[in-house]
Parts: sequence; structure tokens; C-alpha cells
Amino acid sequence: MSKRYKTKKFIVKREYQILAVILVLLALGLVLLPKYKKNEGIAPKLFVKNALSTERYISTDLLADKLVNQDPTVLLIDTRTEKEYNDYALPNAINIPLEKLLDEEFESYLDQEAYDVILYSNDNFYADQAWMLGNRLGYKNLYVLKGGLNEWFNTIISPKYPDETMPKEAFELYDFRKAAGMYFGVGAPKSEKKAAPVKKVITVKKKKKRVAEGGC
Amino acid sequence: MGPLIPNGLISGEWNFVIAIFIGMAFGYILEASGFSSSRKLAGVFYGYDFVVLKVFFTSAVVAAIGLYYMDYLNWVDIAQLYVHPTFLWAAIIGGIIMGIGFISGGFCPGTSFTGAAIGKIDAMAFTIGIMIGIFIFAELFDYIEPLFTGSNMGHITLVDTFGISPYWIILAFTIIAVVAFYFSDFIRSKVKKVFY
Repeated sequence: MSKRYKTKKFIVKREYQILAVILVLLALGLVLLPKYKKNEGIAPKLFVKNALSTERYISTDLLADKLVNQDPTVLLIDTRTEKEYNDYALPNAINIPLEKLLDEEFESYLDQEAYDVILYSNDNFYADQAWMLGNRLGYKNLYVLKGGLNEWFNTIISPKYPDETMPKEAFELYDFRKAAGMYFGVGAPKSEKKAAPVKKVITVKKKKKRVAEGGC
Repeated sequence: MGPLIPNGLISGEWNFVIAIFIGMAFGYILEASGFSSSRKLAGVFYGYDFVVLKVFFTSAVVAAIGLYYMDYLNWVDIAQLYVHPTFLWAAIIGGIIMGIGFISGGFCPGTSFTGAAIGKIDAMAFTIGIMIGIFIFAELFDYIEPLFTGSNMGHITLVDTFGISPYWIILAFTIIAVVAFYFSDFIRSKVKKVFY
């Protein structure tokens, strides 16, 4: 018997034992492989793509519209410090300071799919940072208020009156902003045009004309 | 990278198409390896044929080892895979019922359809039995519901229950599998041979 034939015979005879040994060795390999810490969250390439995209921004006008219409899907998160939050915040906003963003107690606000979370800060920089942290972890439905509270103030709270040469849309937008501002409790309408004084109408009952008597 | 569909490498519409092809392949392999015979399945209980045990245990162990190697190489993200929630008492009682059906009928739901497909009358009777069982279950659902939805332990695995690394659990299971195969061969050698 040649050596080759012997090994072949051995393999055929011990087929199942060899397969079992391979299986155990593979499982053992999993245990013995050097462990490394994996990247948490989304892939770096996707993250860069998301970060460069401006899709995350939401304008103050759109936000105002959602708030006025009491859109139930909006969840506002204020990423500024607690003191700033107490001084002024958008209605129904939740305060999660940037440095506490990844605390466990706030995770359920960010890692969910029921609401559209809109992050804001004074400008959009803190909110952007918060957005990046969240996006990196794969949280969905995170948005950033473009321009933050400064923009909010410039557009909704004290909108600029458009020039007379501007198109009709600019005036409509101005009217909307003015009305939204009033909704948020500021900027009582400056009476740009005084309403014409209502004329008192005195109704005078006319006496019934007498029908000419007689005749045919 | 993976899983392919949740990560958008394959669009979601393909989900069912792929499922149909995998189902066909599964059915073919079940039939081709003789699982459409009720004697083969009952053999596990009577101790003259342990192919069912070997096939399913091997596939589970191979899949687990393969998935964790793929996870290690970042081909598949294990955390994204679906873990079926555990309803403890529902699973225990359902397992007992299924086991009784398995021994008495000689089929599991999958093999009964492969058996019916090649024209076995007992398999056809079994599939009709499945339909009747489904009907009874649906009609009695109001009474069964507390059991059905109760004792929900969530999407847990042994890793969560014991807090051990999954690699050790896989190694333990592989060794259990090999021992079980050896032991089942030992039993088979003691039991009178059945030819079918």
C-alpha cells in the first residue's frame, strides 16, 4: 500500500471526526482571535457624506410654521447651557446641554424614530456638533435649526420689512413671520395703516310711503 | 457592510424574491436529504436515525461560527441582525405541543410540505392538520392571548442572559454538538436497525 493510499483511506474512514475537529477548531479560533474595539455607529464614509450634506438644516420659517400648527412630531432640543435655556428658549423645548448629550438619561430623546428632533443653539454650531455626535451613532430624524436662535430672532421675532421693490412673496413671507411672531407673544402689530374709522351708521326708519288713495 | 438589505446594499423590494429562492433551496435540500420521510424524523425519538438532530445542530453551529467570523471581519454587523423575542411560557408550551406533533405525525411543518409536494398521503394529511390547528388557534386566540403575549423577555440571547462573551458560548455549543453527535451514534449502534 502506498503512503498516499493510506492517507486517503484514513481521511475517508475518519471523515466525520476530521470535520468535527475542524468545527471545534474554528469555534476555538473565535475565542482566541485578538479582540479589537469596533467602530460604533455608522461607517466613516457615510458619516462624512451626511456631514457635508445640508439636508439636516431646517429653516426658522419652517419651524415656526410647524410650531404654529402644533405639529405633534416636532421635538425641540436646546443644546445650550442650562442658564441660557432658563433665560430664553423656544416653546416646549427640552434642554440637553451639549456636554451632557450622550448621557444615558437623554438617550431616549435622541435615539428614537417617533419624533423629528430639531436641535438648536445660539447659532447652528453647537447644534451641528450635537447633530454630528448623534448622526455618528446612527440616530435617525435629527435636524438642526439653521442659524439657531439668532436667526430665529432676526426672522420670526423681529422680521425686516421688505423693500418696496421686492416681489410679492417677500411681503407674504413678512406677513407670515409677523403673524408667527405674534403667535409666540412678541411684536404687537404696529399699525402700519390706520384702519379707516368706522362710520357710524344711523338707521333711519323711513316712514312707509302712503299709497295713493283712491284711484281706480 | 452587511446585513445587505437593512444597509441598502440590496433594495428592500428584493427581500421577498430572495426569500422565495432561499425557500426553494431549503425545500429542495430537505427533500433531497430524505427529510420528507416521516420515518426519518420519528427516528430521532426511537433512536434509529439521528440525521435530523445532526443536520440542524450542524447548521446552527456552522451559521453561528460563520456569522461571528463575518462580524469579526466587519462583513456583517451582528448588532443589526433580528433576534426573535422570547416569550418564555409560550415557547415552552408551544415546544411541547410541537414535539408531540413531531413524534406522532412524523413531520415538522417544513418537511410536511416537502412530503406533500412529492405526493405522500401522510404528509398531505399532516398539512391539513396544520391548517385545522391554525384555525383552532385563531378561534381560541382570545383565551390564549395572555399566554401568547405574556412573559415577554424581549430580544434576549444567551449572551445577555449569562453575560458571557458570545465566542465562549459558540465554543461550548460546538463541543456540545460534537458530543451529542458521538452520543447519538452510540445510541444508534445499540438500537435495532430499521430499514425504510
